[in-house]
Amino acid sequence: MQTVQKIVHDRVTPSNPKTMSIDCGGIVSTIAQNRDGSQVVVGGRTVFKIFNVDDEGFEEKHNLRVGKHVNLNYCAADIAWNHIDDNIIATGATNGAVVIWDLNKLSRCKQEHVFQEHKRTINRVSFHDTEHRCLLSASQDGSMKLFDLRKKEVGLSFSMGNISIRDVQFGPSNLSYFNFAAADENGNLMIWDMRRNERCERQFPAHSGPVFSVNWHPEDRTLFATAGRDKTIKVWDLVKQKCLHTIYSIASVARIKWRPQRRYHIASCSLLVDCSINIWDVRRPYVPFATFDNHKDVTTSIIFKNKDPYVMLSGSKDSLLYQHVFRDAKRPGEELVPAGVDVSVHGLVGHANSNKQGKLNTNLDSGGLMAGLLHKKSTDRHDHFVDVAPYMQVFLDTGQVVPIEELSWMVESAKRYLLTGKSIEELCKHNAQVSLSLNRGQVAQSWFILSTLFCTNQCDIKPQHPNRTTSVSVSRHVDKSENDKNKSNKEVTVDTDDKTVDDGTSGNSDDEIDDKELDSRLSNIARGQINPDWDIFFGDGEPGSFDLRAMNNFTANNKEEWILPSEAFHPRHEILDREALSYTFPHGGTDPHAHLAMENELSTSVVTSPNVDQSSNEVLTTDMRLVQCPDWEYVNIVTDMLKNFASEGDVQTPVCMLIVLQDKIRPYIDVELEEDWFLSYIDLLGRFRLWTIANYVIKLSNLPQISMLNQQSTTIHVNCNTCTRPLHRSSWLCDRCKTITNHCCICHLPVKGLFLWCQGCSHGGHLQHVKDWFSRNAECPTGCGHICEYA
Amino acid sequence: MVSVMNSIDTAHEDMIHDAQLDYYGTKLATCSSDRSVKVFDVKGGQQRLVTDLRGHEGPVWQLAWAHPMYGNLIASCGYDRKVIIWKETNGTWGKLYEYSNHDSSVNSVCFAPHELGLVLACGSSDGSVSILSSTGDGSWDAKKIKNAHTIGCNAVSWAPALSPNALFEQSGRPSLVKKLVSGGCDNLVKIWKEEEGEWIEDQKLEGHSDWVRDVAWAPSIGLPKSIIASCSQDCRVIIWTNDGTSNNWSSTVLNKFKDVVWHLSWSITGNILAVSGGDNKVSLWKETLEGQWVCISDVKQGQGQVTEGQSQASRNL
Repeated sequence: MQTVQKIVHDRVTPSNPKTMSIDCGGIVSTIAQNRDGSQVVVGGRTVFKIFNVDDEGFEEKHNLRVGKHVNLNYCAADIAWNHIDDNIIATGATNGAVVIWDLNKLSRCKQEHVFQEHKRTINRVSFHDTEHRCLLSASQDGSMKLFDLRKKEVGLSFSMGNISIRDVQFGPSNLSYFNFAAADENGNLMIWDMRRNERCERQFPAHSGPVFSVNWHPEDRTLFATAGRDKTIKVWDLVKQKCLHTIYSIASVARIKWRPQRRYHIASCSLLVDCSINIWDVRRPYVPFATFDNHKDVTTSIIFKNKDPYVMLSGSKDSLLYQHVFRDAKRPGEELVPAGVDVSVHGLVGHANSNKQGKLNTNLDSGGLMAGLLHKKSTDRHDHFVDVAPYMQVFLDTGQVVPIEELSWMVESAKRYLLTGKSIEELCKHNAQVSLSLNRGQVAQSWFILSTLFCTNQCDIKPQHPNRTTSVSVSRHVDKSENDKNKSNKEVTVDTDDKTVDDGTSGNSDDEIDDKELDSRLSNIARGQINPDWDIFFGDGEPGSFDLRAMNNFTANNKEEWILPSEAFHPRHEILDREALSYTFPHGGTDPHAHLAMENELSTSVVTSPNVDQSSNEVLTTDMRLVQCPDWEYVNIVTDMLKNFASEGDVQTPVCMLIVLQDKIRPYIDVELEEDWFLSYIDLLGRFRLWTIANYVIKLSNLPQISMLNQQSTTIHVNCNTCTRPLHRSSWLCDRCKTITNHCCICHLPVKGLFLWCQGCSHGGHLQHVKDWFSRNAECPTGCGHICEYA
Repeated sequence: MVSVMNSIDTAHEDMIHDAQLDYYGTKLATCSSDRSVKVFDVKGGQQRLVTDLRGHEGPVWQLAWAHPMYGNLIASCGYDRKVIIWKETNGTWGKLYEYSNHDSSVNSVCFAPHELGLVLACGSSDGSVSILSSTGDGSWDAKKIKNAHTIGCNAVSWAPALSPNALFEQSGRPSLVKKLVSGGCDNLVKIWKEEEGEWIEDQKLEGHSDWVRDVAWAPSIGLPKSIIASCSQDCRVIIWTNDGTSNNWSSTVLNKFKDVVWHLSWSITGNILAVSGGDNKVSLWKETLEGQWVCISDVKQGQGQVTEGQSQASRNL
């Protein structure tokens, strides 16, 4: 009756197993279950107990560690429960004893028999599936012994030298009845026939380092798993002796067990580091399919409860015996991040993802097999798990997305923008053209606006180009208003004044030509009405003197506006500035010099249009006033514009505009903000490896915090060449030994600047002297005979 | 329209978890479940495998490139609880440093802005965030924010060192910002700052209803405010903004996607956000002038054209 019940129980998974645990009272080194999984025996150095496993929890049934002489025989290194006779348990002890326990014994001590055949620790004991009297032991002493429990004697002894055997297991009786597998500390796997002890049937190296565990596949006789200290689990085809799969664990693998009814699943626990139990799909060798991480110390022993694929039992060094249920397992494969994305400086988006179409790569060792497995139709969950395995790296070009073009415009602009060396107007126009050519209309327009707003007063250098004059004049109007705000630029160069006064045209600067007329004239030009007389004037008026004056203006402008492209020259604002003339102009000319000069200048224009209709002049004048007079606070608008560019992620534009406009705008922007922009832009240039431009920007920044950047580590420390002490005061005189360090070997004077010397004979001198010398000679000027030219 | 410009067959044997381009956009590093980190030269549409870094003993989850002023450095982290810093010296890559003081899988690594020195933050499934700083003589100091996120930390990202906030602080020179943001399994996004050598919680941002998968602090190039993007298994991407005048962060849901959102990445100018979702799609988002976030592209992997020549090239790898 009881047997029938048990068989029924075998087939049916307990209604509702749950995750549960019990403290065994000592480190658990091994566990084993009885035939139907209703009881589990737990062994360790201080523990030897049997627990009932119920749906509700574990219940201690026996404590076998009792008796008069509790000795090392009670310290089980491994336990096996007989597969047929539910009362027989075998243990292997650390002292080499194999002990048989009979639970039917009436005495408290259930010890039945002790085999003292091994000299060292027993690593494993294993019962045969059906030959229930056959017990196999594997020991550290290098031998395996097959015990006959009926005769209480050793049947056969198997040995291959004295390399310790870490694990043995009988093959499943339905598949390979007489075979058992053993693994040794050298990493070899052996298949023996239990009837023959001369030599093993097969032997091959399976791991580098010790093999800790072997496991026959319960259903497929060709599949066999081994695991070892090399942190791998390998699945073998025993017939072909070929490794089919390798699983990479993060720690040495202590025990492995195939999951019942799941062809590709195998459970493992680690010897060190990793306390969790991992269940792997052999086709997905890096990520566990499921993980139980309840234990707080390393797991020492794992079994599937009664061949139920959903329930596991485990013992651990944390003294706990656990029952795990798959329902509660963690699924690392489902938690891991299947995609990566990154945006490069060039605006490319890199996207790494797994290709669910299952494009398999042939680079895999077992690729062929995997492909075969994958195409097997199955709706099982674990196949989904495997499905996501493949790998693709995809690059998306976002170049065609309008708003996120590649930043090539950034690079191009950085390379082509002019930031200094010409007048603001020219720089702005140049930069506008650059932006235009890169299809950046907004930026181009902004540059154009700047050129209009901030352009300084210009008398044309080449008056023969009416168009050009026009544009200059246009900007001039606004310039005046700009100067209204910037009352700093009042000074007039004496130079210019003198010249204009001397100018023959000054004779025309009569009082009857009033400001209004001039204004009208200018606005006329501003509206693009180029007076046909213009050319005539320049052609016929007073060519000689005008030329001279134009020349003069040219040079004057040079001085005024161009920041010479060398840091030796600072922007010289005190030398000003033809625009100052126009500044004073609307206010009636407070500065007599300016006034005079202005009038001189104006007269030249006025002469050109002596016949301009007075009425039209009036109209034009009012126009002019509208444009010019309102106090238009455009500086604020410009700063807003710069900030807007920056907030849109374009720091290049504001930084370049800052550099071009310099003092005209910079006082209106926070130094911190400027620094922020500069740093960002310099960083950006660095990303594109535009070091030269970055350095150029640093140089032009005029911000101490920024300029500092390229002045770091620029100090050279030199030592005296006579006393080898550091030179402090100067590079050519040693304070300590009072000698002059280096004479020029040509002029025999100390070299205070660049010292050029021959690496062959160490003679040298002033750069120029040495250069001169070697342009004529090949030998050293000291006469040392060294041919320096080739050194 | 966005099209696939190029596909790289990385020959990784398992899922790729991260791909990161270096500072100059010329090198690509990928990491995979197959425990390897690979570095490719990406030039002119061609890729060349430079190295295959082996050293992790489990899947490698994430990578980070250091600023080039410290040399070519990659940090990688993985399931094996390790953080490894790899360095290229004279063309050969090798292990520079290994940090293995986490109790569980390390999910995220991120190098700090270069202004702060060579500093690395790591977020782990054990719930802690480690901050490793190079002392300059080859050794590394480690500081740990314990229990930063219960259950686990999934992502870390540094604030730009020159945060716009600094501009509004008391007069004088703004000091460097040392802040980072983390996201974790407690559905929270947390901002941490260093004060007198200790890392303390600065802000706790609540908004997601499931695990936060990635966080990304936007680069602050010219931007007047701090922006953080976070994505979660609740399929939402949230943009958190701080105008720098107070410590309040306002949130905007960028979008609710149909699938889990795994990763986020800002463009270097900080105005475009790339979002990678569980449906194998990448989408790019930009804020309009009105403050709305709009999708400016939507790319389904595999729909772009790969020309004959390119697929040939990838086969030749």
